[in-house]
Amino acid sequence: MNNMREQSLPVRAAIDIGSNTIHIVVARCSPQDLDILEDQVELVRIGESVTATGEISQQKCRAAIAVLNRYKTLAEKYGAHPIFVVATEAIRQASNSASFLEQVQRETGLTVQVISGNAEATLTFYGATYEVSREPGAPAQIGVMDLGGGSLELVTAKNMHITWRTSIPIGSGWLHDRYLSSNPPSYDELTVAEAFLQTYFQGVRIKRRLPVLIVTGGSANSLLLLVHHAFKLEVHRNQLTERDLVRCQGLLSALTAEEVSERYHQPLERARILLAGALIIQAVMSRLHLTEIRISPHGIREGVLLAYERYGEHWLEIVSQSAALPNHQQQAEFQPGVSTVKAEEPFAQSGRHMLLERTRKFLEWPKEVLKHEDVEAVHKMRVASRRLRATLDAYESCCDPQIFKKVYRQVKRAADALGAARDTDVMLLNLHAQLEHMKSEEQAGMQWLIARLETFRQQKQQELETFLHTLDEDKLKKQVESLIPEGVAANGKS
Amino acid sequence: MAKAKPITGLDPQAPTGKNARLIAKERLEEIYTWDRYVDHPYHIQELHNLRIAAKRLRYTLEVFEDVLPEACKPIIKELEQIQEELGALHDSDVMIALLRLCLGSQDSAIHPEQLQSDGETQPKKGKSLVSPELVAVLLEPTVAPSAGERYGLEQYLQMQEQLREKQYTTFRQHWYSLQARDFRREILDILDA
Repeated sequence: MNNMREQSLPVRAAIDIGSNTIHIVVARCSPQDLDILEDQVELVRIGESVTATGEISQQKCRAAIAVLNRYKTLAEKYGAHPIFVVATEAIRQASNSASFLEQVQRETGLTVQVISGNAEATLTFYGATYEVSREPGAPAQIGVMDLGGGSLELVTAKNMHITWRTSIPIGSGWLHDRYLSSNPPSYDELTVAEAFLQTYFQGVRIKRRLPVLIVTGGSANSLLLLVHHAFKLEVHRNQLTERDLVRCQGLLSALTAEEVSERYHQPLERARILLAGALIIQAVMSRLHLTEIRISPHGIREGVLLAYERYGEHWLEIVSQSAALPNHQQQAEFQPGVSTVKAEEPFAQSGRHMLLERTRKFLEWPKEVLKHEDVEAVHKMRVASRRLRATLDAYESCCDPQIFKKVYRQVKRAADALGAARDTDVMLLNLHAQLEHMKSEEQAGMQWLIARLETFRQQKQQELETFLHTLDEDKLKKQVESLIPEGVAANGKS
Repeated sequence: MAKAKPITGLDPQAPTGKNARLIAKERLEEIYTWDRYVDHPYHIQELHNLRIAAKRLRYTLEVFEDVLPEACKPIIKELEQIQEELGALHDSDVMIALLRLCLGSQDSAIHPEQLQSDGETQPKKGKSLVSPELVAVLLEPTVAPSAGERYGLEQYLQMQEQLREKQYTTFRQHWYSLQARDFRREILDILDA
């Protein structure tokens, strides 16, 4: 940044309350660039108590408030205004998040905004890529993964426009607490954690291979630091290879957290969860067929500051709206909660609009499936069919039995046709993923099987297309509209 | 697994929140009709049914998320994880059955239908792990695997069997960790809150 211009830029602060850490950045801000004045992090591990009990303990609450008060003083020292505070997975999940937010407001004067997983992914993307986007020859296809304590956000982008994103409820603190609690973790714990990750990530649908993946978050940055210290990596190198991570894994599974902390200058709480972080990153690299990743120290906080400069006061609304757009290209998972229902609303009445809403969502997909361009469309339509069936099952007692039977049969036929295609897609995806790990003399058998399954998949696609062409959408909608007779919705009598 | 059991005794005029709790409790009980099979790694169909039951409870909690307590969200995550674990196990079972089918049919007198289960439990009629249409494609005589291809299939079968062991261990360990904290009671308490 030009120094004169830099001095005239506004100073802002952004704090994020994550599952592992509370992190602050104070910076002079412009829409495309940041001059960072302060960057501090404290490991509070709120997620630990949320994983154990479902709520934020008083001890964690007090620790968080102490850190926030200190950060507020720090931000004010620089004249930062506004001071943004966002919270992510641990606060999203805590059953007592409302009282926590109230206590923070009361004792610090700071308002915390709890953001959705998708908004989190978008903001992290802004933060992690703003430096790369200015580099000459920046890659057209890029991915960003934010590995937090309680969740992992993954975003892919083309020419810096987000094309796909997902939020996965697996983080380094969570994996540690769930699977790797011994110090150091036992061989059995390690094996089970690896098997869990392998299984889980095989099931995560990722559309395309990525040439570049930028990883952010405390665990990723601490692993880079560990590699610098332990294996004498060049100080300016910000890449980690598969080999680096295998070496980290060996080291972290052999030493206690206390030894790691002492030898490699890591905070003890971070040292405890580093192995979990290394395993998750390895699993994602393996799923994406990557041998190297880039580590970025920037993330959601920088994203918040950039979003504010770009969009003004309504930055969070704009980011949240763009993150929640029903764009088939952007959403990785079908989002539940499509229609708001009030707890006191009569059951039959809520059934009428929920069934219509689920049917509408289900019917968004046939055109995408018929294009046969994206295997994910089949998966998403199948998920929509399951949610529609779950809604039909819930409201069956209010429905006209004859119409119910007709609608249910149609939806089940769709689910069966989609299921046959999707299950074959999953087998093919798994086989392709395994193929690279097989010895050359073993690959011929896999290729034979892939060829047979592809033949079968083509048959299933034809059947699916035949079914979808005969699916009378208007008729289905009319049937669903008359599923719960007006009389039942009005007075409970059929 | 058959269609979900219809829920009886729901008052169409009752608040949605009240009925949503009744439905969720019924779906919870469905899960626990299958839990005795958790220690039986090769009761493939029953473990699959447990997965479907978990999925039904998860979808019920999601469909009614607006009217159920916030505390249901971590429960949804647990159910999603169980579903993922059992789903991966089922995928492996299908792949193992399929590989045994490809390998067994070429060098033994065993009828292909006998290869469609793991050998310890026979799938019920109409519940074959591998659909008859897929069997026909795999056993197409003109494209039978060569000796080299069979070797690769055998290696993959071994890998898949090892993976299944791990997947089962992962699921069982998770299941028991949930039982240790009395998951069923936990859900009932949330729904009764």
